[in-house]
Amino acid sequence: MAMTDTRSEAAAPVDDGAAPVADSAAITDVFGNGDHKAIGRLWIVSAALFLLGGLVANVVAGFEQSNLDGFEITKDGDQLVQLWSLGRDLVMFGGIVPLLVGIAIYVTPLQIGASALAFSRGAATAFWIWLVATGILVLAYIMNGGPRGGRTDYVVLWALALAVMIGAIVWALICVATTILGARTAGMSLDKAPVSTWSFFTFAIVGILALPIVMGELLLAYLDVRYGYLPTDASRDTLLSVLDSVSIAPAIYWIGIPVLGIAVEAISVHTGKSVRFHRSVMAALGILAVYSFAGDFLSFAGRGRPISFDNGAYVVLILLSAIPVLSVLGLAGESLKTGSVKVRTPLVAGMAGGVLLLAATGASVLTAVAPIVGFLNTNFDANINLDSAWNLAGTSFHEGIRGLVIAAGVLGAIAGVNHWGHKIWGRSVEDRLGLLATLAAVGGGLVWGIPLIINGFLSPDTFIATGGVIEDGVEVLNLVSAIGTALLAGAAALLLLQVLGAAGGRGSSVEPWTGNTLEWATTSPPPIGNFATAPFVSSATPLDDEGFDLGLVRTGTSAPVASEADASDADDSGAEAAAEPAEVTAGGDA
Amino acid sequence: MTDITVYDVIPERVAAPTPTRPRLLVIGTMLASAAVAMGMAGLLGIYLETRADVMAEGQRWLPDGVNIPLTQPNMMAMTLLLSVFAMVWAVGSIKADDRPNTYIALGLALMFGIAYISQTAYLLTIMEMPIRGDVLERPPLLYALIGTHLVVMIAAMLYAAAMGIRTLGGEYNSKDVEGLYGAASFWTVAVVLYLAVWYAIYITK
Repeated sequence: MAMTDTRSEAAAPVDDGAAPVADSAAITDVFGNGDHKAIGRLWIVSAALFLLGGLVANVVAGFEQSNLDGFEITKDGDQLVQLWSLGRDLVMFGGIVPLLVGIAIYVTPLQIGASALAFSRGAATAFWIWLVATGILVLAYIMNGGPRGGRTDYVVLWALALAVMIGAIVWALICVATTILGARTAGMSLDKAPVSTWSFFTFAIVGILALPIVMGELLLAYLDVRYGYLPTDASRDTLLSVLDSVSIAPAIYWIGIPVLGIAVEAISVHTGKSVRFHRSVMAALGILAVYSFAGDFLSFAGRGRPISFDNGAYVVLILLSAIPVLSVLGLAGESLKTGSVKVRTPLVAGMAGGVLLLAATGASVLTAVAPIVGFLNTNFDANINLDSAWNLAGTSFHEGIRGLVIAAGVLGAIAGVNHWGHKIWGRSVEDRLGLLATLAAVGGGLVWGIPLIINGFLSPDTFIATGGVIEDGVEVLNLVSAIGTALLAGAAALLLLQVLGAAGGRGSSVEPWTGNTLEWATTSPPPIGNFATAPFVSSATPLDDEGFDLGLVRTGTSAPVASEADASDADDSGAEAAAEPAEVTAGGDA
Repeated sequence: MTDITVYDVIPERVAAPTPTRPRLLVIGTMLASAAVAMGMAGLLGIYLETRADVMAEGQRWLPDGVNIPLTQPNMMAMTLLLSVFAMVWAVGSIKADDRPNTYIALGLALMFGIAYISQTAYLLTIMEMPIRGDVLERPPLLYALIGTHLVVMIAAMLYAAAMGIRTLGGEYNSKDVEGLYGAASFWTVAVVLYLAVWYAIYITK
């Protein structure tokens, strides 16, 4: 079977009641299985590991820039910047984005009733390429590469490794988007797809369009360094801005799209009340995707120059980007009001992720103040005297916004892993650990982001611009920010513990909750082929529809149970059905 | 008298038709094409911006002694345009289950592709543009654009060749042209991207 094929080649397993986790540990699952669930698990576990590594690098860099006595790990400003840059690269393209990609690869085929991921071999290949490239990236930094690196060979290796990492992610996103566009089950138009599927789709499309631009810049960086156009360490500062087009607001809100999608999904399930304004929520997510892509485009257009907001389109984007986030949270929040809220990790983490994203979009409005005042003074003689501190372009203000969004991404990953944890590993992830991780991520995000946002007003320079020398007065806030990063790293560590625990077979085999979208109509974890028969859906909540029947018989220790509200009403017929063995066949292409 | 036998329009014993397999390969190809186009557009944007900055300072864009002739770029444009016709011919032929013509058309398209690579190599040789040095014009930019397009074109050729082999194996026919359609789509995008490079680098210099 070639990479362009879509079918899962393995036959469906016979359900013998064995613990489903055993299947996931099979060596074929790790190396040769084209099943999207095995591939998704690989992405999730590896990305959780790299996320932790990246955050730890950021923690060390954060404490270094606080000028703490006795805390000197790096030798000079260049090494400090390298460490910071390693953290940024790993958190973004080794951690958050691949984690969300892994969840998407696992969940979306199930949600749309597909038997497999499109080009599943391609997604597996993308994973291995990404994994190797990430390892090489870390190696390049260790060998004095990366921006501000002193050894040219390893600086170019950094550029190549990062480009390949991003390319592999784009490849995986193409698989996800193709699946959603072309493999939806009968009756499922795009507007009837679950909100999280839609969010993964828009996330994928923005990634497919925006990330290749960064790859182009990295290729150019490779050639420039390789052929002597950036000969000195100082001239290589321009390499630090290569990721700006995807890591500065509003482009970075791209990461928030699936966070909101997961939050909406969690709200529906954990309040027992589906989000009523399904299409409106989808529209709001789509608008956020358009904003973030437009932001990416505008950031790219201003590349190589000081980031300027004296640009009408940019100001409009910044001003409006909070609206879709607020709309999604508001529309989904209606379920919180009318439903029966159960305080569980997915709900709390999802909502907290959404609120942090809202905080980031809201705070970034401050960057529009200076250009608006400038516009009023120029065109209407307003004579408003604005303090120069409001010129936030190029300050650590943007680092603060990035911290908030990264924390939102971590919370989205926590919500997703906890929400679908049992579906992914056949074992429940530890909920109390999840709540602790959520608390740490919320605290970490706020304590990381807010001090840097304040620093943006206090100091016109970032530590990167000054090579690690910080002006007096902002060290304390830098220290507070470093503590926030440490808290977020703690959250990532707890998430990794949860993931490893579930993957290792710990946790209950009884499915803790169920929902009304298609992934809840099959076993946990689902068999290869996912469904016994291709389901037909007529609404966005097919499991709530009268007469919906997949013909699936749920068996074994992983048998899904009804929601807690329905559990007491479980009748005998259901019990009889559960006693019969499943007859599951590998599904054809939907 | 004529014996008239009445048949059921759809006899009961006939199973329901299998749902048509969605054209995942075509969808995936379109998305990949969009990604490639964005990457090339980004590089092109940087190239045009840098060139405009250099020329705004009153400098000459191309270093002294470097000359980009028009003959080869124009021939490459013509060659690639002809290759699009060959790909359309291949898709049309397989739609008519005309395998010999499909193979001929694919072979022709691949030959045009090889001709393009060969002409690009020759052009780079006679341009004598130094890649290393301290000239203002950042030759790596030019090489990044031309090199990236070469890679895209080689990918399009490999894609077309793979689909050709699959067709040879009997996978594609008049009822399923997905693979060849996908290959032709990617090929066309690659040619359109060349036209952008042709105008930006070779024509406007």
